[in-house]
Amino acid sequence: MSDGQFITVEGIRKTYRVGGSNVNALDGLDMTLAKGEMCTLMGPSGSGKTTLLNMLGGLDVPDEGSVRIGKVELTRLSEGQRAAFRRGNVGFIFQFFNLIPSLTALENVLVPVMFDSRDMSDRARELLERVGLSNREGHLPGELSGGERQRVAIARALINDPSLILADEPTGNIDSETAREIVSLFKELNSEGKTLILATHDRLVASRSGRSLRMRDGRLVRGGPQKRAPAGDSG
Amino acid sequence: MIGRTFNPASYAISHLRHGLFRSLTTVATLSITLAFAILTSSMLLGVTQRIDEDEGLLRGNIPGSIDMFSEFNIDPELSEEARSALLHWMFLTTALVLIVAFFIVYNTMAMSVEERRAEIGVLRAIGFSTAEVLRIFLIEGGMIGIISWTVALFLGMPFIVNLAAYLISKGDGGLFFVQPVIDLPLAALSLAVSVGLCLISTYLASIRRIRKPPVDTMRPAV
Repeated sequence: MSDGQFITVEGIRKTYRVGGSNVNALDGLDMTLAKGEMCTLMGPSGSGKTTLLNMLGGLDVPDEGSVRIGKVELTRLSEGQRAAFRRGNVGFIFQFFNLIPSLTALENVLVPVMFDSRDMSDRARELLERVGLSNREGHLPGELSGGERQRVAIARALINDPSLILADEPTGNIDSETAREIVSLFKELNSEGKTLILATHDRLVASRSGRSLRMRDGRLVRGGPQKRAPAGDSG
Repeated sequence: MIGRTFNPASYAISHLRHGLFRSLTTVATLSITLAFAILTSSMLLGVTQRIDEDEGLLRGNIPGSIDMFSEFNIDPELSEEARSALLHWMFLTTALVLIVAFFIVYNTMAMSVEERRAEIGVLRAIGFSTAEVLRIFLIEGGMIGIISWTVALFLGMPFIVNLAAYLISKGDGGLFFVQPVIDLPLAALSLAVSVGLCLISTYLASIRRIRKPPVDTMRPAV
């Protein structure tokens, strides 16, 4: 596929066996993304957004097709190699934050580097300050609001300075005001050269991304430059 | 515990502290069973030495034990058959107690792993290998082993020994008892058994879940 692209996905298929029948989560999907793009994936539940994010992040591998991030062909890597790739190159942000409940905000940010010999606590504090939580570093996730938890999760995703950030419904569990702040933060990261892919049902998020892709039944049904989302798009 | 000191060990400590009630009950039950295991092992050694050396009362040095034990001894007239039966009984008791201890840790860790399946998924998703996630759980299991051993040796043993001595002193005679001997080799052996037992049960309780692909394991955690 096109050279010079940061992400190149070619003909990926993924079938899951659910209740005795096969479900095509991804059905011969192709896509490319340039470095530094911010892109949203929209579409109804079950359209394959999360499965595609999992493929792009090396969490899962397709039954067919290829996924290339930079110069790395993810489908050729072993599970251990994909784990190492994820740790060094990909920042994940989840709808339900997925923080570790027994760790403070600062410790949660430090989780991805806990096996490193480098002292990353200053960087973790900087990141918490950046997401506006410098006064909450000693709090447990249970003591934080949904928006604060998501911001801790964003700081955690940034600790290794990943080139690719994948977010699955990042504003799906927070109020609209906090969602706006989170989207602004994503825009800021994007302006610094990070590539972001956000799976979302939220048209606010889509309206502020550079490009919106629509998925249906495991395929991309619309891509290209961002257009105004049609009314009635509930995702 | 942050910065360079935030490592898998501090991660494990945070988790043990967070689930303090469960940690304490696990340590309490494990240390009691371990104390029994150490006691029966020491008596086993005491009986063996007694038979081998065929000399007077074996003197022990259990921290906090009382002198009452000097009144109890293997009956010099005890027949070889009875001595042999006693040895077998003590060996079986020790083995049984250790099996119970194994299931205590296994059950605790299995419950903990099941509750933390989303956490395991996240750790895998952010790039930790199976071995690294396993290491976190083994450190936690190992810590339970060390803490339980310490409690068993310095609190559980004196308690059980003194209780046994008291009960025997209230008996109507005809009972025999051997002064337990806790020496360095037995202390080291019991530490190794305690930690080893915790590591094996933790491994068996967690490895299947850790090996699962992160997309299968990950569910909302917070």
